[in-house]
Amino acid sequence: MSASQRPALVAARRVLARKGAFMAASFLALMAIVAFLAPWILPGDPLTQNLRHALEPPSAAFWFGADELGRDILTRVVYGARTSLVTAMGAVTIAGLIGVPIGLVAGFYGGWRDAVLMRLVDVILALPGILFAMALIAVIGRSQLAALVAVGITGIPSFARITRAQVLSLRRRDFVIAVDALGGSASHLMFKTILPNSWSPILVQVVILAAVAILLEAALAFLGVGIPPPTPSWGEMLRTGKSYLYEAPYYAVLPGLVLTLTILSLDTLGRTLATVLEHRQGSTGEPEPEGQRL
Amino acid sequence: MSIQRRRLLSATVALSLGTFVASGINATAEAQDGGGTLRVAILQDVSNFDPQSFLSLNFPLIKNLYDSLLEYGPDGEPLPSLASAWTIADDNMSVSLTLRDDVTFHSGAPMDAEAVAATLAKAADPETGQNVYATMAPVADWTVDGPHALTLNFKGPIPDRQITDLLQFISVIDPAGIDTVATVPAGTGAFTLVERVLGQSVQMAANPNYWRDGEPRVDELLITVFGDNDAASAALESDAVDMIYGGGGRAAVRLRDSGYQLIQGPGPLVQIFRINTTRGPFQNEQFRQAFNYLLDREAILRVGYAGLGVVTALPWAPASPAADPSYNETYAFDLDKAKELLDASGLSPDEMSDWQLLVNGADQDAVTISQLVQGTLAELGINVELDLRQGAEFTDAMLGGDYTAIFAGIGNIQKFPSRIATNSIYRTVNNPILGEPHPHQDYVAAIERVNTTLGSDEEVQAAYDNLNEVLVEASFGIPTNTFDVGLMVAAPDVSGFTPDIDNMLVARTITVAR
Repeated sequence: MSASQRPALVAARRVLARKGAFMAASFLALMAIVAFLAPWILPGDPLTQNLRHALEPPSAAFWFGADELGRDILTRVVYGARTSLVTAMGAVTIAGLIGVPIGLVAGFYGGWRDAVLMRLVDVILALPGILFAMALIAVIGRSQLAALVAVGITGIPSFARITRAQVLSLRRRDFVIAVDALGGSASHLMFKTILPNSWSPILVQVVILAAVAILLEAALAFLGVGIPPPTPSWGEMLRTGKSYLYEAPYYAVLPGLVLTLTILSLDTLGRTLATVLEHRQGSTGEPEPEGQRL
Repeated sequence: MSIQRRRLLSATVALSLGTFVASGINATAEAQDGGGTLRVAILQDVSNFDPQSFLSLNFPLIKNLYDSLLEYGPDGEPLPSLASAWTIADDNMSVSLTLRDDVTFHSGAPMDAEAVAATLAKAADPETGQNVYATMAPVADWTVDGPHALTLNFKGPIPDRQITDLLQFISVIDPAGIDTVATVPAGTGAFTLVERVLGQSVQMAANPNYWRDGEPRVDELLITVFGDNDAASAALESDAVDMIYGGGGRAAVRLRDSGYQLIQGPGPLVQIFRINTTRGPFQNEQFRQAFNYLLDREAILRVGYAGLGVVTALPWAPASPAADPSYNETYAFDLDKAKELLDASGLSPDEMSDWQLLVNGADQDAVTISQLVQGTLAELGINVELDLRQGAEFTDAMLGGDYTAIFAGIGNIQKFPSRIATNSIYRTVNNPILGEPHPHQDYVAAIERVNTTLGSDEEVQAAYDNLNEVLVEASFGIPTNTFDVGLMVAAPDVSGFTPDIDNMLVARTITVAR
């Protein structure tokens, strides 16, 4: 199979061919690049205080204005993107690494394993995500790692359930039965045969959970239980900026706008991805088997 | 349009105008005669109804449900209240009280000397005395001399001002309700409790048997908890409340600039950088003393409190007899002097950074000024983290002394100087932060000297000067600025504010021209 024919690349092309998704992906890419290169392309430090410029409105020197301690809001927004992206990536990784194997095992074996694992997932699912995260942070303390772990754990059920549903759907397909008949082990069936053919909804879930993770991290910071200051965080900036809404509306509005655009972009990308992958499956009636070579 | 319809419309307009004019007349009459409901917004729910639980949380309640033995005027002069007269013995070893004979509790029981004795007994008990307990320390015992006469005897001679401070601190509680006073108010105050909805509101009605003529001026007092300064401000601007009590400085200044009344009382608090000298690098005296220079008081006042207050390097309000403005010059923000002391401390940068600054996460001003200090420390190579906690978790840590350093206000700074010891960090005994025995015996001795110096003005002043020197040297509390507890912002049609020496809400004299 040539590179140009790889399903992932085909799907990516189809997604980016849509105007909305292209704009969303471009914004996210720009955000990621700027966040990554922040120390080299931004003149200031997000923690440097300069009280002479406290609450200064947007100007040539401070494009997004300055906060109550004279810190450049644009610099803090960019560094806040780092916080959000790291939290999102970490949370998705935790949720995926735990949730996907749970779904695989539960769906593949069924029976008591399925019952036990799914009830455990139900327990996590029964707790409102933000409350669960707050409780966890209350126990392990406030830090970026705590926020990341808390958000990641709340994402486990969605990965587990989607993966399980995919496994149940694929388990009786001919190509899986064929590998089974040829003596493929359970782990081979799960990780080499079924999992590579389940990636579509999982990928969509990755994008959706990234949006949820960023939003949840911001919500935790807004409620005062997120990453402690002075580490820049969009939620923390919204929380503080709220107190200065009359004197300096840009303080809360501009970070809020960036947060909104990021969530909107991820949501657009996720929805487009889901639509494209659905069409791809729908055109053949079943997912294209992949990675089943013995 | 038919003639009948025009007539009907005209009649309706006339009726509406008539009603409007009549309501205006009624409003004017109400403004003159009082009545109606005073709607007050507060930002934190009250804690309980015990007047000896002298927390700022309870400041909206205490002076409305209870009366104290005497009051202070705004300039600090003692005024009669439940005690119509008091006589301090020539040797300052006792004070005799004459109580009013026309006062009843909300239960209908008479307020008499036995009730005062029961209240004193509660205050003198370490289990029940709460914040008043420390103030009772000089009291040896008391005798009931008659139905409305009582004498307090002291362990030694104490200054007049300390005696009147004590009497002003005692709100008399109905003996029948003294055991349940935390949940059921039992006072003589101008208002009686109607209902408390936890976390939401406290509704009070005018006490029909109140002893002060013509008071309270309103029929009802409704205190609503908003929990958010902006929400309370919006409620005031939309006429959902008549005033905000205990709001933040920045919102208050903005509302003042929009035409609302800003009322600052005579009893501010002083913001203190409290230090647990038993922990980490703060066990080192020179490290602690460096904080006298490295706290940018002007910036803290401006950024955290919109400039409402004054900077101070000592824990006194400007009106305190122990206030000494020269300390503000001597200990002004100076990073070079701070660095000299830090270098002299002999601590390594890692050792200097080995602590966390506890912050009330629900208090944005505290978060801001803590970040300010964090930034200043970072300039000196000291990198500390903020430990943000909220609600009960924060309160427990603060009152229980479970912190290394924290910003928190202290009260009683405009009264007799030794009253500072009513604040937890400044307690001379049972100090929950510094423990027992008190690690700063010079401070304990300085407070004792202030308490027992009854000689000439020079001797008294020398005792105050000594206390100030010891406070700066011990440096377990670094004052930064005064700020208003109980800051009031009111609609233009609210009047009759009574300045309280502790900045408590005194609603009995307030009227609303609605």
